[in-house]
Amino acid sequence: MAVVDHSVAGIAKPKPDNRQARAGWGLVAPALTLMALILLVPIIVAAVLSFTNYSLGNPGFDWVGVQNYERLFTRSTYEKMFIATFTYVVTVVPISVGLGLGAALLVHSLGRIGDIYKTIYFLPVMATLLAMAIAWEFMLHPTIGMVNRTLEMACGTWFEALPFFANGCAEGFPLWLGDRDYAIWVVCFIGIWQGFGFNMVLFLAGLTSVHRELYHAAEMDGARSGWERFRLVTWPALGPTTVFVVTISCIRAFQVFDTIEAFWPQGGGPNKSAYVMMFAIFEKGIQQNLIGIGSAITMLFLLFVMFLTLIQRWLVERKVHY
Amino acid sequence: MKYTVTAMALALSATAVFAEDKVTIEFAYPYSHLFDVTYEAMMPGFKEAHPNIEVKFRATYESYEDATNTVLREAVAGNLPDVSMQGLNRQAPLIDKGIAQSLEPFIAQEADFEKEGYHQAMLSLSTFGDKVYGLPFSISLPVGYYNMDILRAGGIEELPTTWDEVIVACKTMKRNGIDNPIFWGWNITGNWFVQALLWSQDKAIVEDGRVTMDSPEALVALEQMQEIFTECEMQNLEWKAALSSFSAGDVGMMFWSTSALGAVERSQGDFELVTGPFPGLGETPKGLPAGGNAAMLTSTSDDPKVREAAWTWLKYITSGDGAAEVAKTTGYMPPNKAANEIILADFYEQNPNKQTAVDQLPLLRDWLAYPGDNGLAITQVIYDGIERIVTGDATDMKELQEELVEEIADLLPNG
Repeated sequence: MAVVDHSVAGIAKPKPDNRQARAGWGLVAPALTLMALILLVPIIVAAVLSFTNYSLGNPGFDWVGVQNYERLFTRSTYEKMFIATFTYVVTVVPISVGLGLGAALLVHSLGRIGDIYKTIYFLPVMATLLAMAIAWEFMLHPTIGMVNRTLEMACGTWFEALPFFANGCAEGFPLWLGDRDYAIWVVCFIGIWQGFGFNMVLFLAGLTSVHRELYHAAEMDGARSGWERFRLVTWPALGPTTVFVVTISCIRAFQVFDTIEAFWPQGGGPNKSAYVMMFAIFEKGIQQNLIGIGSAITMLFLLFVMFLTLIQRWLVERKVHY
Repeated sequence: MKYTVTAMALALSATAVFAEDKVTIEFAYPYSHLFDVTYEAMMPGFKEAHPNIEVKFRATYESYEDATNTVLREAVAGNLPDVSMQGLNRQAPLIDKGIAQSLEPFIAQEADFEKEGYHQAMLSLSTFGDKVYGLPFSISLPVGYYNMDILRAGGIEELPTTWDEVIVACKTMKRNGIDNPIFWGWNITGNWFVQALLWSQDKAIVEDGRVTMDSPEALVALEQMQEIFTECEMQNLEWKAALSSFSAGDVGMMFWSTSALGAVERSQGDFELVTGPFPGLGETPKGLPAGGNAAMLTSTSDDPKVREAAWTWLKYITSGDGAAEVAKTTGYMPPNKAANEIILADFYEQNPNKQTAVDQLPLLRDWLAYPGDNGLAITQVIYDGIERIVTGDATDMKELQEELVEEIADLLPNG
């Protein structure tokens, strides 16, 4: 009798805790289920499919092991993919971050007129890149486009002393989108043009949180020139913002797709010179229905982005907190 | 109050009856820049003839590749349109996967199918394993577009008949100060121009499930392309940019499908446009691939009314006045005999530019699809290869051929 009593008491005692825990899980369950269903399951499915040769519309598939990944690292097409992607990231990230910071500092130093600049620089960010790409496509048309027409106006003036103009006036100006030496740079240019306004806004937000007193203190300590104030106060204070901006820019640069799809719906640029990862995923997985290889590129893509995010976490936690 | 209710009930029942009679079918087609005008021209006639059928147009496919893809995706998702227009070279995979349905049961019910102009040569383009799966809607062949003003300014009086003459013409024009003498449509859908060069030598690009890129004829084709691109110093234009350049009067000769003739004429600048037969390799081509698309029944509906309506629409656009609109609004030829001989009897006399492709009809050959799931990927491999010739990245054609053969073998089911 006493034993039974004891055991009953033993169960009864942690009951409130248990109930609370269960209620807690119950309340979290919808969010957890949704997270698993919407975020995790698709990634797992993609990971599984990357080891198969599944093609859309087929009733089944075969396991092919790491064949898809092996192709990624041995075929020249994918070599071009890596070159194009890294060229884009390495060009666009530093320039768009640098321009964003510069513009933010200049705009910040202005009074009310700054708002006008802010709006103007932010315009390309608000416009859809795809629509803008179509506008650029018209402007870059080799014979009837605005860019080459404008360049032609320089013919016959002293501009011809420059080799680029001398060549262009004699042979015709570059094809921009059809020339493998220019294509990726055109895409980079549009990426910077479109992206730096966003970075500027982020830096502006960071600048407002830098205390005025710090500048006064620095000045009293002998930091007279603008450069010194920037080096000693602004730049360190912007540390967390910079890490965030660089990470976001990197991820956005890895994700570039709209411009390439608009310019070269087939092939990804002359000689695949602008065949970036996102476009490769689209071409293989969506255009050619080869889900297996498409998933393999997706996994690699996720890995890069995850890696970048981890670096950012590490930097934020260790290095740039004050 | 009572009366109002009765009136409302009456009105409701009336609309219900009306809605019951109305059958809606969904329809999708490729290349809006070519065909929008065609379907716009057809719709009034169709609505009058079949007031109870409503055709709902889905978003257009960008190209034949996109058309295949979209339909494959829709088949997986279970929202196929009732009728879909598919490139002649992309019909086979849809039949293999059981998406396109045989039209034989409908044809069996038609009393005078033959009389409506559906003849064997036309139906053979969509016949697979003795069964008709589609009704060909528009047929095109490659032709030459010539800007006679530029040609004359460049000192050319006669249209070239071989590629060697084309190259001579290029050089003459260049000497006379024409910057942009030629655009050769290598980047047209489905490796069509490569197949044109192969068929010109009477060689098929696919034989017994093998891609014949390793044949001597394929090497001749690659070398011919290289000669045209380098000797003419052809610019690497995207095809839409090339079409607008030609329409604006900047390009002397353009080799492209006759299909664009309607679109080019509509946006043509102030110059004399003449079309000529597709030049050959040293002699007249022995064959040319048939471009174009066919209407396929992809309906998943069990409702006989919907299927009947879909068949009515299929027939309307491929025969009689519907088919005649194809010739009137585009550069395509309707493959329907009755439409060609009766409605369009004197049309080609008045439009000699559209006659060129009709004259080439005896050369008509199949536009072949690459076998297996990787068909679209093989198209891309060949496309990338030719692009390397245009951009000057590949200079040794033998080497390029070997690379292409290797990459294609990688993608073939039996490779």
